Amino acid sequence: MSCTKMLCQQCATQWDGIWHCAACLATKRGARAGRSGVFSWIAVVLVSLFILYCGARVMVWTGALLAGMF
Amino acid sequence: MIRAPLSVTSVLDEAADVVSITTPWAAVLILTSLPYRFLQAVFLDQLMEAGGTAYRYGNLLGGTANLIVLSILLALWGRAVYARACRLALGRGSTPGRETWRVPLVAFVSYVLTASVAIFAGYLALFTFIGFIVAVMFAGIAIGTMELNESTGLLSPFRVMGRYARRIGIPLALVFVFFCATFVALVNLAAAFSLGRWLVTAIGGFDAPHWELLFSGGNRRFWLMLFAGAILIVEPFWVAAHVVYVRKAGAVESGDDLKAWFADLRRTS
Repeated sequence: MSCTKMLCQQCATQWDGIWHCAACLATKRGARAGRSGVFSWIAVVLVSLFILYCGARVMVWTGALLAGMF
Repeated sequence: MIRAPLSVTSVLDEAADVVSITTPWAAVLILTSLPYRFLQAVFLDQLMEAGGTAYRYGNLLGGTANLIVLSILLALWGRAVYARACRLALGRGSTPGRETWRVPLVAFVSYVLTASVAIFAGYLALFTFIGFIVAVMFAGIAIGTMELNESTGLLSPFRVMGRYARRIGIPLALVFVFFCATFVALVNLAAAFSLGRWLVTAIGGFDAPHWELLFSGGNRRFWLMLFAGAILIVEPFWVAAHVVYVRKAGAVESGDDLKAWFADLRRTS
């Protein structure tokens, strides 16, 4: 854990293979949450939907091409 | 708890234990994946029906493809819930409760992004076979690392995945193991259907003459449904194996497995 305090195993929580105390986990969560802006949320959602839409088109294209080969 | 060093066999062993603990949540995964797999089978059936003239049925195939994309979102949510169930079960050693439903939105949105890229790449690289294998491996690491995403961003989920893709041998081996497992599940499912059909036709006063035609090797739709069923059976193990892999790989990075092993040694001595 980042604060290097001694804790028993029951009081520590493992995250990504590293043991953290409750205070360190709260700090870590707060620091990470603060960085996500509205624009990054919108960008991620829009890009995901666009890629899924393109995936449907590519699925039809690949399927029709493969069906034509056999 | 991390119980054994990182290897393909230890990942599969622990994944099997996790699936047995999380059986109720595996049902959620299967139920949410059913529409996706069913529509995929319908799409393949339409393609086989059209054959060489498939390019003339763009509207029909496109309509089914759009439905598949909608069902993917439900299937991805089911996978996210099950991956969380696996992670909680690994930490506690018991079946997780209602908190499993609370998948962090950041993690889910990041997972939709990485999974949609994997699906897109998979269809695009279907011809190359190797590219398809890489896409399946990528999809596995995406579900394994889903809960490690703590901030949204277009690149951050891929950076997290990159950390766990360094040991390429184990994810690649998992792809081949689950490829073989799908065929084993297919054979077992086909045998179970044959046995069920035989038992039903043996009931006195009950005649099912059409069943021989419908549930036989000559029916293409039956085989497509069996294949979809085989993938559904294997999917909980696939998700669990990747969650276990990511946790174990993370423990190796932090030296936590070494600490656990040393503590075990001290306890036994």
